[in-house]
Amino acid sequence: MTRTRRPSAQTVAVLQALAERPDDWHYGYDLCARLGMPAGSMYPILIRLADRRLLETRWESESVSGRPPRHLYRLTATGRAYATANAAATSTTIPATTNARRSAPPRLGSA
Amino acid sequence: MPVLLLIASMAVVAGLWLRRGRSDGDTPTRLVTAAIPALPAHRREWGQAMVAELAQVHGRAQRWRFAAGVLRVVLFPPPRHPGRALPVAAAGVTAATVATIAAVREVPNLSVFVATLSLLLCGYATVAGTRSARPRRSLPHVIVAAIAVIAATAAVATVLRVAVTHPAATADPTHVFSVLFAALLTGYLGFALAARRLSDGAVPWWALAATLASGGAWALTTLATSAVPDGVSAFLSPVATAATLAAAIGASATAADRTTGVRAGALTIALSAPLHFAAGMTAQLRVHHDTLTNPYDIAAFPHSGYPDAASYLLSDAIAGAILTGFVLSPIVLGVLALLGAAAGTRLRQLGTRSAPGR
Repeated sequence: MTRTRRPSAQTVAVLQALAERPDDWHYGYDLCARLGMPAGSMYPILIRLADRRLLETRWESESVSGRPPRHLYRLTATGRAYATANAAATSTTIPATTNARRSAPPRLGSA
Repeated sequence: MPVLLLIASMAVVAGLWLRRGRSDGDTPTRLVTAAIPALPAHRREWGQAMVAELAQVHGRAQRWRFAAGVLRVVLFPPPRHPGRALPVAAAGVTAATVATIAAVREVPNLSVFVATLSLLLCGYATVAGTRSARPRRSLPHVIVAAIAVIAATAAVATVLRVAVTHPAATADPTHVFSVLFAALLTGYLGFALAARRLSDGAVPWWALAATLASGGAWALTTLATSAVPDGVSAFLSPVATAATLAAAIGASATAADRTTGVRAGALTIALSAPLHFAAGMTAQLRVHHDTLTNPYDIAAFPHSGYPDAASYLLSDAIAGAILTGFVLSPIVLGVLALLGAAAGTRLRQLGTRSAPGR
């Protein structure tokens, strides 16, 4: 029997941010800025989501001079369903930083 | 005062090293780029992703904050096999408990050391077991791992021998040295075992050659001649210095890469320090400390609480060997490795320019 752990509030926040525009590809740093979450918390979440095949990743195909190509993230179909399932259950437990950011949300970067 | 000057000079050199090479980016970029190879191979792409994102972060404070987050991920990447954690940890805690009980019975003065060391090793094994994919077992890395384990075991064995022959010498009422020694040994062992992720090609071979050469020379010097290491100067012996420099210069010149030289030097230090500690303490045990000759010791011994001069001197020797052999000397040797790696890279560049047909 496989036991599924309930995701953390931070994970749910990341899922929701990704699910708001599920067809768009998102940058890691923009997700950090949007959710007020440090990279040290954001990337482990993204890594775990990708490990569980809830998140698909790709590198930027368009080369931009002066900077390396960036990594992009988007929920898979399974990830979207997972995000929807968890959104209602944990909507009241999103961290205060996330709610604070929501009062004046910067535009989420997407590709 | 000399120690403060030593540390200050090391900080200056490290600062200069971090500030140089502006073409490689600012300090957060250089730190992050240098740390990424420490990620497990299957997480390397994520490291590159974080480096690429750092290029988009503006503002000094934000860049440092993002770099700190990346370093956190490098140090504690999400485990690949979280299911292994519980059984490995349970086995480790069981082994640690057994070892501690045995220590309490046989060498009570070392019980805190044994408990700390075994728990730290248990933690290391748990982390390594959950984060690794399939370990790459190339010959040099297997030899490096074997020497690292042998060196750490030899260091522990010599302290156990002191505890058996002179129990009072290993008394540590504050437990500071017990915990410090356990943490240092685990750190050195962990660094050496992690070399398979950090090093390729020239690094392990140069480090192995330098370690075996210096270990042999050190053992001959201390064991054959009964020369007892004393103080920082003894641990900064020409043997250790030459070995570190040779590894750093040789590896960087071979690979035409400064980082390779620094890693070879660092691995040499990590492998050599426990070996030198074991050889030095073995030499100390061979000397019959029946009488005190130092005026300070003669004055201090009656108030020290030690039952005999040998225990008093050996206790002092162990504490000194831990601090000098695992802390102070490696700092100085680390700076030498930096300088040696820079010199090796420069030598390679000069050699390439002067080569015929260039």
